[in-house]
Amino acid sequence: MRIEIGDYGARARQVIREDPQVREAVTGATLAFDAKRRRSYDEIDSDAWRRWAEAVKSHALTHLDRYLAEAEARLIENGAVVHWAADAGEARQIVMELAAENGVRRVVKGKSMVTEEIDLNPALEGAGIEIFETDLGEYILQLLDEPPSHILGPAIHRTLEQVRELFAERLETPPDGNPDTLARAARKVLRDAFLSAEMGITGGNFLVAETGTVALIENEGNIRLTTSLPRIHVAIVGIEKLLPRMSDLAGFLQLTSRAATGQPIGCFVSLIQGPAARPGDDGPKEVHVVLVDNGRTDVLAHEHAWEALRCVRCGACLNVCPVYRQTGGHAYGWVYSGPIGSVLDPGLLGLREAMPLPFASSLCGACFDACPVRIPIPELLLEWRREAQEEGLTPWRERAALTTLAQMATRPGLYRLAGRIGSRLGGSALGRALPMLGDWARERALPKPSERSFRELWREGIE
Amino acid sequence: MIGRSGGARDRILRRVGAATAARERRPHPGALAGDGPDDVVAAFADRFRRSGGEVVAAGMGWRGGELLRWLRDQVPEVTAVATAPDLPGELRPDLPEVAAREAGAGVSVGWGGVAETGSLILPSTGGRAVQLLPPLHIVWISADRIFARLEHALLSLAADLPAAAGLHSGPSKSADIGRTVVTGVHGPGRCVAFVRGALRSPAATE
Repeated sequence: MRIEIGDYGARARQVIREDPQVREAVTGATLAFDAKRRRSYDEIDSDAWRRWAEAVKSHALTHLDRYLAEAEARLIENGAVVHWAADAGEARQIVMELAAENGVRRVVKGKSMVTEEIDLNPALEGAGIEIFETDLGEYILQLLDEPPSHILGPAIHRTLEQVRELFAERLETPPDGNPDTLARAARKVLRDAFLSAEMGITGGNFLVAETGTVALIENEGNIRLTTSLPRIHVAIVGIEKLLPRMSDLAGFLQLTSRAATGQPIGCFVSLIQGPAARPGDDGPKEVHVVLVDNGRTDVLAHEHAWEALRCVRCGACLNVCPVYRQTGGHAYGWVYSGPIGSVLDPGLLGLREAMPLPFASSLCGACFDACPVRIPIPELLLEWRREAQEEGLTPWRERAALTTLAQMATRPGLYRLAGRIGSRLGGSALGRALPMLGDWARERALPKPSERSFRELWREGIE
Repeated sequence: MIGRSGGARDRILRRVGAATAARERRPHPGALAGDGPDDVVAAFADRFRRSGGEVVAAGMGWRGGELLRWLRDQVPEVTAVATAPDLPGELRPDLPEVAAREAGAGVSVGWGGVAETGSLILPSTGGRAVQLLPPLHIVWISADRIFARLEHALLSLAADLPAAAGLHSGPSKSADIGRTVVTGVHGPGRCVAFVRGALRSPAATE
């Protein structure tokens, strides 16, 4: 996916002004997701579960070399083929070569953020391979030629009316088709694809080192089909997805589902160890696991940002975020949006490339409270802001304001003079005059400043 | 086998090693505490139903004949089935056998179940097409194979892992169109657990 983060401000404004139904659809969907998440957290001792999950992931990440080697060894024992890709280009290359060697003409895909990250679809299409996104939301977006806007509900920014119109045009469904009719039409197209594709491509929610298990959670069954029917299954997995043991997986399958959709577990979970070997198994003859770095080792080496690698891609932080709700994910300009995108993208892409995302937050802290692995997102946002300031990446107006403030704060005479001017200017005029508060003050009535300064009151003795 | 990696494998592992060496190693917290439900069979049935699954209390004596009667009664339009290769002959309904993609129902036998999540565990040796392609999936399961907690079930499964296993916790569903839930999107739209043995375990009824 092309990186267009630099235009965040302009894109956000454009969505809010020109496409108001996006805001409506995204707010409705995220509030519904979040209500289910809250109810589901209440059914368990969510504090204890989240602390446990944080500790398991932190353990795995601080022993990642050991667990990667262990997972690789188990997968090879199970008959799978393990590939390693340092960056997006290498990952694409591996899949392209596998497809070419096996004469693959048709691919079915399960929803996967990492395949968006490495831009896999355009590469395969360029080689004349037909690709079917099989998650219903992803399929809608493929028809619209749009990237996903939410980790879990990739098409939540599209309304029923829009899907109706799209399907009527492309799948010849009735113009007033209900969701059931529309889903049936998609199912028909995709069922044919499942039965004829030579290769299935998925991501992986978790990779268990102890058993070499790629675990995938979903509700539709499309991932079960993608990993079962084609002759070749390729799982593309970020190196941070490791879990030490099968017993850890049991907790993570449940907690991730609860955080994502409020279910005790997704309707379907696939546990994949390797290619079909025993009698009766009609599964793929080849299973390939591609372990992808693509910036993750940079994040791992960062003093603070490494904690973002605990992310299980549940989308809970997007659902609670008052900023994300206004625009949906497209404004953020890359694969990972919302609070987690704002702390992960600077690590994966470099801070310069990810500006101004660390500033696209009100720091309200709701994301941390929802996060199943307790990623300190607000703290990481502040850390990235600090680094941006240090590297001179912040907007000039903000830099100028902070420099002025620093000068005033160290010169009492200047401070007094500014205070007197401020109190004369009064509420809104003062707001508009200050470089950082202009936009904020335009929409609000500021309280009237006191006529006497704090220093004057102090001298007189505060009663 | 080790596939393509160029020098990527060693480079990545070196970088990971350097990053983790510089950081304090965190300990593993051990198992997640919890008891799971007391009455595992009732809890399984309750959870599975709440996710849209159906549960039939099949006595220990139920065989293929009882299943056939249920099919005739519930889904008379189903005239042919696909059955899992590891399904014992006595649990097979007496209907014509067809390929999974043409069958009105698929009949499998579950390796086990999980009470806390309401899940059926289906090993790939049972044939994946049977578990996924027909619009109706029927799974025979023994009440004494239902585990209280997912952790216990997965640890037991790990002792002899098949190439793949599926956890099915209700029918296929999606809310991707207009946030309205539709069932049977890709996988089976109906999933019925035929639980052999008492639905309520003796300990819980005392």
